[in-house]
Amino acid sequence: MSLINTLIPSFNRAPARRHSRSGAVDIGPAVKPAYEIRETDEAFGVTVHLPGVAKEGLELTAEEGVFRVVGRRSWKRPEAWTILYRETSDVPYELVLQHENVIDVDKIHAELADGILRISLPKSEAIKPRKITVS
Amino acid sequence: MRLVRYTQPALSRSLSPLPGALPRSPWSGLETEIDRFFEAALGDLAGVHLAENRFPVDLYEDKDNIFVRAELPGVARADLNVEMVEDYLTLAGSRKTPAGEGAKEESFAFSRSVSIPESVQSEKVSAVFENGVLLVTLPKREEAKPKKITIAVK
Repeated sequence: MSLINTLIPSFNRAPARRHSRSGAVDIGPAVKPAYEIRETDEAFGVTVHLPGVAKEGLELTAEEGVFRVVGRRSWKRPEAWTILYRETSDVPYELVLQHENVIDVDKIHAELADGILRISLPKSEAIKPRKITVS
Repeated sequence: MRLVRYTQPALSRSLSPLPGALPRSPWSGLETEIDRFFEAALGDLAGVHLAENRFPVDLYEDKDNIFVRAELPGVARADLNVEMVEDYLTLAGSRKTPAGEGAKEESFAFSRSVSIPESVQSEKVSAVFENGVLLVTLPKREEAKPKKITIAVK
C-alpha cells in the first residue's frame, strides 16, 4: 500500500468531505424521513416519521436559516439474529429544512411519541400578518 | 418496478380520425401503454404518498425464535392488531392523526401478512411496540429447532 502511495501521492489524501452548506457535522449516509409541513398564521408545524428513534438519539439544531433533524436508531440487531428478509435500514435519518430566517428559534417546541416527531416552529413577530387600521 | 393493473383502452380517447367508426383503434392499445408508462414512471417520484399504506417489515431468526420487525410510526397500541393464522402473521391497524392547528383529523388503515418460514408455537407469540417499531417474537416449535445430539465415543 505504501508503494502505491509513493507512486501516486494523491491516494494519501483524506477523502473529500461532502459539501454541506452550513458547515454542519457530516453524519455519513442518511435517509430522508417522511415528513409533512403545515402552516398557520402563527407557526409552521412539521411532522416527521422517525420509527425506531428514541429521545436520546434525536438531535435538533436550529441555525441561521437552517433547521436540521438528525435521528439515530436506538435498536441494533443482536449478533445472534440472522437476517431472513429485510426492508428497513440502519442508517440515521436526516432532514434539513431551509427557511428565510422567519422562525423564532427560542420558541421552538418539539415532542416525540411512538416514532413521530412533531415540531412547532413559531414564526417570528416581524413576519406575522398584521392588521393596519386606516384612520 | 411497480405492477400497474392493465386497463382496457378507453375508446373515447383513441387517436383514430373517426371516433366510433373503428371500435378498436389500432392506436388505442399503444396510447394506453404510453399512459401506463408515464403513470409508472411519475408515480414513483411521488412514491412516499402512493405507498403510504405499505410499511417496511424485517424478518430475522435465531436459534429459538423468529422475529418480525415492522416500522409503524404513530400507531397507537390499541389500534394495532397482530394475528397468527396458520403460517401467516398478519399485522393490521390504523393510524389516527388528531385534528390539530390547520389540519383535519386523518386516519388510514393498513394490513400486511408475512409468511413465517418455519412452524412456530402460535400460542407463545409475543409482541412489543416501542418508538413506533413493532417487534413480534415467534418461538420455534421444538421439532423445528436444530437438534444437537452428542454421541459418546467409547
